[in-house]
Amino acid sequence: MEKMKLKLLYADLKSDIEVIEKELETALNSSSHLLNDASLHLLQAGGKRIRPVFVLLSAKMGRYDIERVKHIAVPLELIHMASLVHDDVIDDSEMRRGERTVKAQWNNRVAMYTGDFIFARALEHVTVIQHPRVHQILARTMVEIVNGEVIQIEDKFRLDQNIKDYFRRIKRKTALLIESSCELGAIVGEVEPENIRRLKRYGYFVGMSFQIVDDILDFTATDKELGKPAGSDLLQGNITLPALLLKDDPHVRPYIDKVIEGTLSEEERKEMLKLVRRSDAIQEAAKISDKYLKKALKEVEALPSHPMKKKLRDIALFMGKRKF
Amino acid sequence: MDATTIGQAVGQLKTYILDNIRHNTLLKYTGTPLLNEKQLFFLLLPKLNGEVWTEETTTSAMTVGIVHASLAEHDKIHETDATSKEQQLTVLSGDYYSGRYYQLLAQTGNIELIRRLSEAIVDRCEHEITVYEREGRNFQDWVVVLTVIETALIERFFYVYQFDEYLEVMQEALTVARLNRELHALLAGKPSIYVSCMQFSLEKQAVEKELQQEISKRKQTLNATLEASTYSEALKEAIVDIVS
Repeated sequence: MEKMKLKLLYADLKSDIEVIEKELETALNSSSHLLNDASLHLLQAGGKRIRPVFVLLSAKMGRYDIERVKHIAVPLELIHMASLVHDDVIDDSEMRRGERTVKAQWNNRVAMYTGDFIFARALEHVTVIQHPRVHQILARTMVEIVNGEVIQIEDKFRLDQNIKDYFRRIKRKTALLIESSCELGAIVGEVEPENIRRLKRYGYFVGMSFQIVDDILDFTATDKELGKPAGSDLLQGNITLPALLLKDDPHVRPYIDKVIEGTLSEEERKEMLKLVRRSDAIQEAAKISDKYLKKALKEVEALPSHPMKKKLRDIALFMGKRKF
Repeated sequence: MDATTIGQAVGQLKTYILDNIRHNTLLKYTGTPLLNEKQLFFLLLPKLNGEVWTEETTTSAMTVGIVHASLAEHDKIHETDATSKEQQLTVLSGDYYSGRYYQLLAQTGNIELIRRLSEAIVDRCEHEITVYEREGRNFQDWVVVLTVIETALIERFFYVYQFDEYLEVMQEALTVARLNRELHALLAGKPSIYVSCMQFSLEKQAVEKELQQEISKRKQTLNATLEASTYSEALKEAIVDIVS
């Protein structure tokens, strides 16, 4: 159902998304058959391609040329893919999107080379764009994403953190790359400076909402829908918004403590998930996500009249309301 | 120009690199970034030999050093278990250094070098990963792999700044230095993954012999090149030191 909705949303962009898919495939082509296999493995696992879509939509607000815009859309997706490959090493993840990860299929070193290769391909691709500002934004984004991940590791299994810590983390982890997708798409599309700023803020708010929904789904979706065990974030020590809101709940806390001690059994994981799903924390987290969503929609409203406004609104709503 | 001046120049570049990738958390858990002074020396060779060298060239040379440091961090990741905090942060330190090199070049608007270094990283990854490919490779194939690992990035730097005349010396010297390291590790009973791969097709003693012959052959070529060059005696001595 969700995939269907997404397909419908992307319908107008179909031919451009096909260009992006083809470019991704070309960009990942390597003289090493192992790198080819690992990259193809990632491409076939799919993904929502939300970053390229935000680039395309933002560029469409200005002077749109897919031949130019693709040099931003493709690198952003490649950077996202590369960071996932390295994240799976960090998180020791065996599965992603229902497929074995590169590190599980081969080993950590192969995953490191694959990630580095994809990062390099991303930069090779983006150098077609000679605009220094584009590179400054993208480079800053890459550095900040890593800083966010460093903070995430530092915050692991720490219950003395607050919601601000969480927001700071997800801003870097997710929102920044979506923010940059919108901003860079708009720059390459030569959108008016004031509207570049609006699209940038839109991307930030959508990114925040998107990550909060992701963190909710980690508790509420099924193992099958997630392609990994529900509650994985918490099991890995990541204290996401639902967990933060429930850390003082007398019924849930004993389970969280067991996660931190590393003694939570499979049976207890399932019991914990039932409690979390029934709790108010899920609704409360959804409300916070909605607040960001509303802010994103407000930015869209402020943009000048354009057929793409509806698309920006619909995609933001989909991201904020998706079921998995 | 004497050995002290050369040492100081390399030391300055090293400090410059470390200052530009300093990150307190990463330093605490993953230690000082790995910088190979032999590679730093060759990055500076054109400058030490009197070529036109600006502040921008120094920044560019520094970013090449940063990419080496980034890839060296990722070489520290264990094949099967990287779950310790130190290993997790080592993955991120490599990514952080990689972001920093891009950021520094983006600030100076050196898009050409970003492109060339990206190509070199692709080249290096494609060669490094061969140890996990089940293909029969001979000794010379592995020498090529090691040459690319040691020299691909510096080669692109030389290309961008038209320092082509230093290419051969740099490639020969850094390859010999690497082969020396591989030979010592083998003799110490701790062969690297590359030498282990060579041993799939050759006996240990045969690998030892091939390494010695390759080193000797390349040293002769290097010595002939140095003799014909107009480098100062101090530079020649520094290069001979690197390969001995």
